[in-house]
Amino acid sequence: MLTSSRWLLSTTLLMIALTATATAEDEADVTHLLDPAAERKPLQTVVPVYPSRALQDRVQGDVEVCFSVDREGRTSRVAVRKSSHRMFEKPAMLAVRASSYVALQEHEILSAIKTCRIFRFRLDPVAIEDPADPSVSGKP
Amino acid sequence: MRCASLVACFCLLATNVLAEDNRTVLGPTNIELRDGALKLQTGDAKEGVRLTLIGLSQAIDGRERRTAKSNLCAGYALLEDYATALSYCNEVLADDDRYWRAYSNRALVYIKLRRFDEALQDILKGEAISPQAKTLKAVRKMYLDATDPVAPSVIIDDRPDTEGEDFNVD
Repeated sequence: MLTSSRWLLSTTLLMIALTATATAEDEADVTHLLDPAAERKPLQTVVPVYPSRALQDRVQGDVEVCFSVDREGRTSRVAVRKSSHRMFEKPAMLAVRASSYVALQEHEILSAIKTCRIFRFRLDPVAIEDPADPSVSGKP
Repeated sequence: MRCASLVACFCLLATNVLAEDNRTVLGPTNIELRDGALKLQTGDAKEGVRLTLIGLSQAIDGRERRTAKSNLCAGYALLEDYATALSYCNEVLADDDRYWRAYSNRALVYIKLRRFDEALQDILKGEAISPQAKTLKAVRKMYLDATDPVAPSVIIDDRPDTEGEDFNVD
């Protein structure tokens, strides 16, 4: 009984911590740089989650993922072409799998060339004001 | 959010201590000490400290006293009584300078007091004793969030790859 309640409590607390982490991840700023010459136009672009371990260890990195896009705009045959850290590969692949492109018109020809996308995971410095510091109080 | 994380860090320490006791102690244990830790886990620091103080007074060996003092350090920190929290952590470490949980707790107290150099020293000492401890990793993250805050960003680049682009990022 006590063991199970302890397990429940620690699980609940872990959930709180994980929720906090997920919220922080969801708040990642996103920049999408498009290729105006690309044959396929993105329809829905899913943003990868910044891995909590990378955030904790202050690690940045890049991943290039290449994949096929079918006539309906669905992605398939997703594979990592290059990456700086393995921890970024899974979120990048999941994001590509969940993303889609504008479907081709009937008269348009499906290209056999793979589409590639680079994800750059970055950590930007944040300035935090110290409430105890009178020089940032805002008072004249 | 930070408060919730802080509670989780302290409470996991309490859980670990109890789990350790459960593996090795047969028969009745120090009930107040156990209940105090459970209260600390739920964030009820006042009741957790009250019960843990009783548990400390009834401690039958050095191990129970060490656990009680370590949890009192956490409890008083949750109550924002950092001076008392520090005194209990210091007592634990004076008796056992290899008790990484007390280094972890004291580092959290130092972070709250913005004594970052001392916090880092305790994190390093704790990591040297228990390199894989998850709570120490969480404390290190809190330390970095306080001293080197960052915001994650993701750039999705659909432009043609620059030939031979190097991906060596820290």
